Amino acid sequence: MRLPARVLCVPAALLATLLGGASAAWAAGEAPELAARVAAGELPPLAQRLPASPRVVTMAQPGRYGGELRLLMGRAKDVRMMTVYGYTRLIGYNSDLELVPDLAEAVEVVGEREFTIRLRAGHRWSDGAPFTSEDFRYWWQDVAGNSELSPFGPPSQLLVDGEPPRVEFPDALTVRYTWSRPNPFFLTALAATHPLYIYAPAHYLEPAHARYADREALDATARAVGQRDWASLHANLFSPYKNLNPQLPALDPWLVSTPAPSTRFVFERNPYFHRVDAQGRQLPYIDRVVLSIADGKLIPAKTGAGESDLQARHLSFSDFTFLKAAEKRTGNPVHLWRTTKGAHLALFPNLNVTDPVWRKLLRDVRFRRALSLAVDRREINQVIYYGLAVEGNNSVMRECPLYEPRFRNAWARYAPKEANALFDALGLTTRDARDIRLLPDGRPLEIIVETAGEDTEQSDVLELIESSWREVGVKLFTKPLQREVFRNRIFSGATVMSIWGGLENGLPTPDMSPHELAPTSQQQLQWPKWGQHFETSGSVGEAPDMQAAERLISLNEQWRTARGREQRADIWREMLEIHSQQVFSIGIVSGVPQPVVVNARLRNVPPDGIYNWEPGAHFGIYHPDTFWFDAQ
Amino acid sequence: MFSYLIRRLLVMIPTLLVISVLVFVIIQLPEGDYLSSHIAELQAQGEKVSQDEIAFLRQQYGLDRSQVEQYLVWLAGMLQGDFGYSFEYNLPVSEVVGDRLFLSFILSFATIVFTWVVAFPIGVYSATHQYSWADHGLTLIGFLGLATPNFLFALVLLYVANVVFGTSIGGLMDPQYVDAPMSWGKLLSVLEHLWIPVVVIGTSGTAGMIRRLRANLLDELQKQYVVTARAKGLPPIRLLVKYPLRMALNPFIADIGNLLPQVISGAAIVSVVLSLPTTGPMLLSALQSQDMYLAGSFLMFLSLLTVIGMFLSDLALAALDPRIRLEGGTTR
Repeated sequence: MRLPARVLCVPAALLATLLGGASAAWAAGEAPELAARVAAGELPPLAQRLPASPRVVTMAQPGRYGGELRLLMGRAKDVRMMTVYGYTRLIGYNSDLELVPDLAEAVEVVGEREFTIRLRAGHRWSDGAPFTSEDFRYWWQDVAGNSELSPFGPPSQLLVDGEPPRVEFPDALTVRYTWSRPNPFFLTALAATHPLYIYAPAHYLEPAHARYADREALDATARAVGQRDWASLHANLFSPYKNLNPQLPALDPWLVSTPAPSTRFVFERNPYFHRVDAQGRQLPYIDRVVLSIADGKLIPAKTGAGESDLQARHLSFSDFTFLKAAEKRTGNPVHLWRTTKGAHLALFPNLNVTDPVWRKLLRDVRFRRALSLAVDRREINQVIYYGLAVEGNNSVMRECPLYEPRFRNAWARYAPKEANALFDALGLTTRDARDIRLLPDGRPLEIIVETAGEDTEQSDVLELIESSWREVGVKLFTKPLQREVFRNRIFSGATVMSIWGGLENGLPTPDMSPHELAPTSQQQLQWPKWGQHFETSGSVGEAPDMQAAERLISLNEQWRTARGREQRADIWREMLEIHSQQVFSIGIVSGVPQPVVVNARLRNVPPDGIYNWEPGAHFGIYHPDTFWFDAQ
Repeated sequence: MFSYLIRRLLVMIPTLLVISVLVFVIIQLPEGDYLSSHIAELQAQGEKVSQDEIAFLRQQYGLDRSQVEQYLVWLAGMLQGDFGYSFEYNLPVSEVVGDRLFLSFILSFATIVFTWVVAFPIGVYSATHQYSWADHGLTLIGFLGLATPNFLFALVLLYVANVVFGTSIGGLMDPQYVDAPMSWGKLLSVLEHLWIPVVVIGTSGTAGMIRRLRANLLDELQKQYVVTARAKGLPPIRLLVKYPLRMALNPFIADIGNLLPQVISGAAIVSVVLSLPTTGPMLLSALQSQDMYLAGSFLMFLSLLTVIGMFLSDLALAALDPRIRLEGGTTR
């Protein structure tokens, strides 16, 4: 993988700035509250808190310090969203979805087998202790390598065909991971929204580890606080993604200071944060982030009442009109960002259904194509999404380098006559008194589409599909269920068809894994048993017995060992072609706009951005640490 | 009287025991347990959980033991004051519950007081001015409150309060007071928010109260001794208060037994809708994720409150009605 040239230029640029005598600017380049603490002797001066070469983030408008950002979340667990929004990773995506080193000063890749991570000199944890390769060693040997803390071995992203890496620590600022075969998942795992943590604050955790402290004493301490043993105490202390431990040293821009449980979490700035703006002022600009936990259904109302400064979570497009009207009252503008899921909603015919008649019918590609041709996507787009969505298949978005119009449009136009012809060709010619076609065994062609019952939007869309399917003699029934029951029924093969969101990543680059397109997970609603078979390496589930699915699995394998971007792109394109021709999922619309409400005084928030979980980290790639509050 | 008290107290124990068995059985009835919903959630987030891990976690959470064993462990713990461990929050239940029980209690208490304060004068007025415009009008309002679904009414009041009074949406106080120590500002903010759930839950209880009080009072007012007293020249208010009202109050106080469960369960729904920091929302999410000890302990707390409340109402009834004191039983 080639790193953008500008990354290598960063240290050089900073050197020039330093030589240019910008040290005076640096002394003033910190928040007033931190300067006060420095003056009082509680913190070391800025030059000692920043790494020797901090990460410089360029932005449209350099900002001012101060302010408190209020956010609303739906559950107490969403405290982890601050790790997502902070988006501090060893290597992360920028707003163009390219990988750029962040915590690491540089990442050198040789043949995709050897990864050398160079840390920043002088980089410190949030409590002032140095961040060095010792923290990586502690994690690798004493957490991932400890049989009590990790009874199942290191995380799967570190294993290539079951083989762990050879990990070396040449010096205090360098860590090297080497495999004998390429590991294309390593960097994307480090940059993921829910990242792979390969480092841990050794100085904080060693006293809680049985190798460095007395095991009996630790077990006693653990039992005193209601934990089973020292291992679960350690796991409780070290939960960097979940943000449950206020004392855990971290590298994020804001640190949690409220212990759980609470309905209001306050995050204070990290005095040792490693990013600065172009003038050398330490980020973040905003002093404090306050997360209030409220019921998810009340959040649109609360946002409309002006109780949030930056809100997109729990807001959906159906709240847009309400929020726009509230704009007048609160003055907070509502932006519409683009969602990049392959499809906002898609129907998933269950190819692993147990009923033999349905199984035969759903596996016939003509049936799936006919169902897809009978959906009036334009009507759905106009009625529910005001025409703002993009009609088409569950496939990659237009902005993706792999996009071809036929991926999105094959079998996605509204052609009821052609659908009727396909159904007739399948032999479903007899109809009953209601003009609904009959299955080969005499039952009416009634498809029960099951939903997770959480969203009225899904029921509305199904209502519209029902009327257009009735034109071609197919009856649709909607069945809302509770999420777990919904899932379990699909996994067991009781469900004929379900409705859910489409591809999670609609903007892939050839270097991202195409596992979503192949039967690799039980969570894929169109072939849960094949996915389970892959996940458990054959012990549970069914092996794919459809030629197209087998081809997808073999292509997924080939991607792992492919050399070169071109070869990977070819594999992606073939997989996308198979999907568009085989109609494994009936995509309806995609690109549904996501309302984002921003406080009128909050700057540096892009008015038009991508709202996606992986990659994108919702606001993460736009660096909330660069957001700032203006005077008015 | 004393034996009556002792008997009532002793009956509470088997009642609570039966409740605990019912609670445990019903929570465990749905297929799977906390672990299966937890794993489903992990998998939905894209994390892979292997079969070995599942077995390990099952053992760690103690879910590999039989149902009877789990129940006995829980019961034994509760009797010692250890209410178990919440899987979802990874903390002992007593730490998770925190302030919520106290706030629930305040909400229920305020609702019952509201119900009494509203129902009492209206009931009396309705009975003494039977079939007047006011009688019909007030009864209509009471029934409207009963007929409107709680959650709808709550949302409407929430919106009205926000637009007209500027009250922040949801919660029992303004966000800035959540962790702050008690102060006049905080108290005022709590009162500002409290009236919505109290009115919503209270109105469904007042309708019933009004009608009961009215009916009983009317029965009493028909009786011979009232006519006699009136003929003898007793002032009407004194006549009303000293004799018929005291008889009519009987069911009023006995009804606390019915009112308490209604208030507590009504409060759960309204709390979820209004996002109040009371037991309702936490109980709901605990039940959905089958977080056995948290949900079970909540329900036991609430049952205990209800049982004690009914005991107190029986005591009040015994104090009010000499017939009960002397005969040692309850009349309904």
